[in-house]
Amino acid sequence: MANVVIARTLDCRGLVCPLPVIKLSKAIKSIAKGAILEMLTTDPGAVPDLQAFQKQTGHEVLDQSQAEGVFRFLVRRTK
Amino acid sequence: MSQSTDDVKRILYVQTSGTEAPERSATVFFLAASAAAMDVEVGIYFTQLGPTLLQRGTPETLRIKKVGAPLAHFMEQAREVGVRFYVCQPSLDLSDLKMEDLIDGVEMIGGAAFNNMALEADRVICF
Repeated sequence: MANVVIARTLDCRGLVCPLPVIKLSKAIKSIAKGAILEMLTTDPGAVPDLQAFQKQTGHEVLDQSQAEGVFRFLVRRTK
Repeated sequence: MSQSTDDVKRILYVQTSGTEAPERSATVFFLAASAAAMDVEVGIYFTQLGPTLLQRGTPETLRIKKVGAPLAHFMEQAREVGVRFYVCQPSLDLSDLKMEDLIDGVEMIGGAAFNNMALEADRVICF
């Protein structure tokens, strides 16, 4: 996923549930349809939460990775 | 909660604890906010002692833990993403509360409306 264009980065490091998902919900609506948002979070529940977010909203989690306790997600706005 | 039958998902939470149990007061707002953030239409119905959480002045002073944010913080998180708050008259009477004693934006419903919401929701979750 090296060549994706990131429309916005949402830094949720240090925030705990439910703030990351709330901020993601607002941020995804702030970018254009089809654009990609990068989200950084240290919330330990982030992986299942992002899967649930994708399932319920339809916004697509394109990629996820983890390094030094920080999760990084790329989420595409689909609608 | 609207009465339409489109494909929007709905969760109705029921909060029965109030200021007598601060440790039971915040969860409903966490979960309701999380659901609303996933585009679910969310309402919280406060009954039994639940309406005491909505008394003007209470959210700012009620602390879930000795150290930490007051309930108002979690309540606002939920409202910011569109969670709606409902009460009914008998549960206000139980705690000698009137609508004007409550924070702004709380909606009054009756038993029929509550049951209708429950029937139209995809899930009802009680605390």
